[in-house]
Amino acid sequence: MEETIKKEKQCHFCLNNVKEIDYKEANLLRRFINSYGKILPKKRTGVCSKHQRKLAISIKRARVMAILPFTNK
Amino acid sequence: MSKTKSGEMPHYELLSLISNKFSEDEVKPIREKVNSLILSNQGKITLAEDLGKKRLAYPIKGFRYGYYNLVEFDLAGENLINIDRALRLMSEILRHQIVIKLVKTAEQIAEDKKIAEKIAARNVKEEKEVREKSAFGGKETDKDKVDLKDLDEKLDKILETNDLL
Repeated sequence: MEETIKKEKQCHFCLNNVKEIDYKEANLLRRFINSYGKILPKKRTGVCSKHQRKLAISIKRARVMAILPFTNK
Repeated sequence: MSKTKSGEMPHYELLSLISNKFSEDEVKPIREKVNSLILSNQGKITLAEDLGKKRLAYPIKGFRYGYYNLVEFDLAGENLINIDRALRLMSEILRHQIVIKLVKTAEQIAEDKKIAEKIAARNVKEEKEVREKSAFGGKETDKDKVDLKDLDEKLDKILETNDLL
């Protein structure tokens, strides 16, 4: 019975006490984009609103520096 | 972003991407050029790190690889535009980005350490709980089976008595 009840996703950055998201951490940021390079909605990743805003900025900064792709066809 | 105290210079972080047409040895003077540019604008370099050659997420001017160079520095805000302009004119640098970096005070670092320890302890606990649960889960099913057998027997007995009546 307990297995069928889905555990609510929690914000990765709140859990790990991350205040500023570093745009140079490609492997971390890659978890929050899909295979096309688009930023995933927080509904899907469980990130809170506060960190989603910071995350979006970090991903966009990483794209400018060619750390993350703008798009993958 | 927290405002720095008056009189104190803001802290910046510069990441520059050096073109792949240079060899590893040729990159060094370029890096020094960037550092001297900051110093000539009365900046104070606190960290200079070479992130090495990396594959780019997409080709820039036909290059698929590039050297990343990270510099952190304190600088008066009005001089920042000079550095930005000079970097833009440097043909060796494909891309650069200057970002305000928050400086943690000693208190904040200590606090973060405490929280990090708590998080580590919590993670260990959670792992244990998961393990215990899976271990108990196996036992519980056994118990349930036994209980079910007992129940069946009891039910049979009751039914028998009912039949007798």
